[in-house]
Amino acid sequence: MSVELSVRGLTKMYAGQATPALSGLNLTVRPGSCTAILGPSGSGKSTALRLIAGLDAPSAGTVCVDGVDLTRSPAESRSIGMVFQRPMLFPHMSVLDNIGFSHRASGQSRRGSREQARRYLDLVHLGDIGDRAVTDISGGQAQRVALARSLAGSPRVLLLDEPFSALDPVLQTEMHDLVRELRTELDQTLVLVTHDQHEAAALADSVAVLIDGQLQHHSDIATAYTRPSTLAVNRLMGGLNEVDGHLDARGTHHSAIGALAVDGAESLGAGPAVLLLRHEMIRVSDTGVAGTVSSLRPTGFRSIADVTICGITVRVELPAGAGTRVGETVCLQIPSAARAVVRR
Amino acid sequence: MTIRTRILPRASRGLLLAWFLVPLVPIVLWAASNRWSFPAALPQVWGVDGFRNVLAAGAVDAFVRSMGLALAVAAIATLLGACAAQALVRADVHFPAVVAGILFAPLALPPFAVALGLDVLVLRARIPSTVAVIMLLTVAAIPYTTYLMRAAFGAYDIGYEEEARTLGASTATILWKIRIPLLAPALSGAALLAFLVGWSDYVITLLIGGGRLITVPILVASLAAGTGNDAVVAALSLTAVLPPLVLVLLLSRLRRWRSR
Repeated sequence: MSVELSVRGLTKMYAGQATPALSGLNLTVRPGSCTAILGPSGSGKSTALRLIAGLDAPSAGTVCVDGVDLTRSPAESRSIGMVFQRPMLFPHMSVLDNIGFSHRASGQSRRGSREQARRYLDLVHLGDIGDRAVTDISGGQAQRVALARSLAGSPRVLLLDEPFSALDPVLQTEMHDLVRELRTELDQTLVLVTHDQHEAAALADSVAVLIDGQLQHHSDIATAYTRPSTLAVNRLMGGLNEVDGHLDARGTHHSAIGALAVDGAESLGAGPAVLLLRHEMIRVSDTGVAGTVSSLRPTGFRSIADVTICGITVRVELPAGAGTRVGETVCLQIPSAARAVVRR
Repeated sequence: MTIRTRILPRASRGLLLAWFLVPLVPIVLWAASNRWSFPAALPQVWGVDGFRNVLAAGAVDAFVRSMGLALAVAAIATLLGACAAQALVRADVHFPAVVAGILFAPLALPPFAVALGLDVLVLRARIPSTVAVIMLLTVAAIPYTTYLMRAAFGAYDIGYEEEARTLGASTATILWKIRIPLLAPALSGAALLAFLVGWSDYVITLLIGGGRLITVPILVASLAAGTGNDAVVAALSLTAVLPPLVLVLLLSRLRRWRSR
């Protein structure tokens, strides 16, 4: 039975600091869903997680699980599990005893806790390493064990604090697959902290973007990509195009690249505004806004072309094998879904 | 390269071993001799009279007293040192430099002066002499235990305890299942040092104990003060080396077992 996590006005002010590390965070994570808290280093995302877990006391605000206020409860009685960036496996215990720790802590026998632990070891596909010392397992295995250990505590909410950032890309992908699989199996309410928009997109249902301790955006993943609330959110979500211009009262943005209507932009009101264009959604075509390719940057399989239109550079992701060359004149199709406007 | 990488290290190891073992040779010879007069290079009559006389001089009682004293000092000084070190590392105290200075002061003060001064105080306060000896030796051992535990707490990762808390562990469970096992190597090292302070002390035991608390060092000194007791002194000194040696071996075995 999964639960809802909600935080209201969560604030943390550290002694001797002028600005709060976290300022009035409001967030609701629906039962069984996964919310990613995305933000750059020092944005307060780990602080938020520590406050939710009860490892630090908030300066203000509340943490509720299924409507019950847990703000004053100690971490050990909240039933909120946490997996840290480092696995933090207890070095004096075997893999199995690490996983069975929560059962031991609740008073079960060593034998009983080990039996329970085996189930969770199977769940993370590490059935045969239970008797090993934690110093004898690889980094990827250690993080799986850490995940199994937290899950074995049957937490009502599981917090993941950049748990895969120290792993190589292949292991990261494996861990993402595992977390998705566990989500299907366990119906667990999850909060993931990450600085990686790809990780957020791979694992979460919704994304909350924290910048300088403030929640600047909260939506589903697709909206965070295509309709970011601020310039900073756009940059964090990997947006590359910011075009300065003027928004009229009908929701059309005017700039050197022309007049482009933006869905729902009327609500922003007329005035100076920045047009954001999602580079992955722009297509090179026979018709559209004409420009000259000024440079090409490979980004792995695909590449990014800088297309200069009347002195403004628009970045476009080209499909694999595109024959576009530097100096070539191309036309760009900018679908309305790729457009958004924000105030600078 | 062979000289630098093989011969030199072996030679220095050999020298170091000789430095510790050579002084023991005459003691071993004395302990195993019934008669050894000048100028003979080796004892004229071999035997275990030394050990027999040691037993007759009340060595068993002295051993029991020394062991009790050293274990009490080890237990109290390790506990207090660990608490002090934790407070210093976590900056739980005001003026930590002053507190550390006071804790480490016994290293700088001559024990003879301290013991003489406190002797009067202990008498006036009517503190039983054995309790007073344990208290003073604990103070003498605290600098060592605090120093060792401060280094251990400095390197200790509080993240393990935070993880344990999110797994539902109470403060007591964290103490017994996480903190003490993780700090066990440092705790055992600190306890060993404190044990040695208690086991080998002479000045404080003599002055505060008023000569009534006969421990192994007191017995060795009183026997050594007389003449013709060389065999007894040697035998007692040899047996006095054993408990610390056994402890060191036990601790190293424990560490090897833990690191497996």
